[in-house]
Amino acid sequence: MVARVAAYVFACLISVLFLYPYLWMVLGAFRSTQEILSAPLRLWPEHVSFEAFRSIADVGGLSFMRALLNSVGITAVSSVLAVVVTALGAYALTRRPDALAFRLLRGGFLLTMMYPYMLLVIPVYIVMYKLGLLGGYTGIVLFLALGPVQFFLFEQFFRTLPNEVIEAATIDGADETTILFRIVLPMARPVVATVAIITFLLNWAQWFPVMVISATPDTYTLPVALLNVNGELGTDFQGIMALAVVTTIPPVLLFLVAQRRVMGGMTEGAVKG
Amino acid sequence: MGKMLDREAVFYLFALPFAVLTLLFGLWPILLSIEVSFTASATALKPMPAFVGLANYAAILADPVFLASLWHTLLYTVLAVAANVGFALGYAILLDSALIQRGRTLLKLAVFLPVVTPDIAGYVVWRWLFDQSFGALNAALKVVGLPGFGGIASPATAMLSILIAELWHHAGFYVLIFLANLAVCDKALSEAADIDGANRWQRFVSVILPQLRPAITINLVYALIQFLKTFSVVVVMTKGGPNDATNFISYAAWQMFDQGEYGQATAMATVLFGVVILIGLGTYRATDRGRAWWLVLRPMCLPA
Repeated sequence: MVARVAAYVFACLISVLFLYPYLWMVLGAFRSTQEILSAPLRLWPEHVSFEAFRSIADVGGLSFMRALLNSVGITAVSSVLAVVVTALGAYALTRRPDALAFRLLRGGFLLTMMYPYMLLVIPVYIVMYKLGLLGGYTGIVLFLALGPVQFFLFEQFFRTLPNEVIEAATIDGADETTILFRIVLPMARPVVATVAIITFLLNWAQWFPVMVISATPDTYTLPVALLNVNGELGTDFQGIMALAVVTTIPPVLLFLVAQRRVMGGMTEGAVKG
Repeated sequence: MGKMLDREAVFYLFALPFAVLTLLFGLWPILLSIEVSFTASATALKPMPAFVGLANYAAILADPVFLASLWHTLLYTVLAVAANVGFALGYAILLDSALIQRGRTLLKLAVFLPVVTPDIAGYVVWRWLFDQSFGALNAALKVVGLPGFGGIASPATAMLSILIAELWHHAGFYVLIFLANLAVCDKALSEAADIDGANRWQRFVSVILPQLRPAITINLVYALIQFLKTFSVVVVMTKGGPNDATNFISYAAWQMFDQGEYGQATAMATVLFGVVILIGLGTYRATDRGRAWWLVLRPMCLPA
């Protein structure tokens, strides 16, 4: 009994430590600098005011609404694109694993994904410049459409497809397009949903490629705007926390709704009995 | 015959968008990066760059800032791997034990939530939590009568501060991997050892730990590569300072790039890539192919 109580006390303490930064962030968005300086540990705001959320209407030369819309748009479009491109690619590579071109493609893709990310982004800037995609949404969205987790989840799924199903369809005279769209994809619905949600979470948090490919703040997403404000304003603490709250809420809500799928997808295949 | 050809051709069509993106935003930039590492920075972006051989590599290996950043990176990696994997192992075993019955899902969610929280937002909050006048951390230490914590302002504690913030962001993932492994452990073995008179520690060392080998290996490799690449947290919290105490390789390379030293920046990138590849190959040789993705490829594909 004593051991059980101790275990719960310890586990709750750890949970509180992990969750406290969220509380502090939300409080910071509602309390003025003066209030925080006088009572840093308060657990409830003195009064509820949305002043900070109004004050971030314009952050570092960029309208807040613009950053929010950029975040939603860039994340949504790049996630859909990632699902389509990676699903098709992984499907082809799993169905024809021995084709030389596909073996090269798989190796090249994995090599790309292994290259230190922040250092890959640097030459990507040069490539974007050469392609004329610098400063536009197209470049950002295209770059965010490639990801290792997405490829891995699809590959895992397509590998488990029973061969008999495809063989039976082939004997019935179905061509490959029919097999993919009529037979395989309906079976793949759960994995498509998992990949879409995980990609949304990952791409919402992306900041470095967005920052580097952007020529002006016009294409900044919320995390980039937050980073910018954190560096520039310095002491507009309340505004920074308000922006952090808005950046955090969408992925946290999505995660809480789809927690099983997200945690399952992220650890998929890690440990098999 | 024509039909056979179409059947194969359609796969190439499926793979085409994937191949185009991989070539344009993967292989081309990598080749470009390696090429630039052999050219003089001032001419790197010109149509006819001047090749200087290994001069950039020689320059960074003679640069005390780079050597210090290499040392800081290795030190930080060792500390962060030990802290994250150690914490995750202990906490996962606690959550999995019979002591915790109700509320396991909630406890798991609490520790995993930071993993899906945008890292910039999380690190911005931590940057201010450590602040001397605003921060809740020093206020709390004061309340319980402990001396203040230097946080990111002092070279002595900056690395520790970053480690705490990164543990908050990453540990939930390692906990989850351990929990997945614990779920497939044979509980009967532990009970049998209990009946045979083994104490808690003996059961842990000889029954539970050996069964956790897959998760331990995965988490170690994963964490090793994760923390070698540490970047975002430095950008948000310390910008490499104070006194270069947190100037890790990836940040040092980024700074070089920012100053227009493209040649040296990409040389640093290539060195870091080499270190990561070596670790990957080492682990790859020691594992069977089925687990290769998790043990080698997936951790190597981690963003910063």
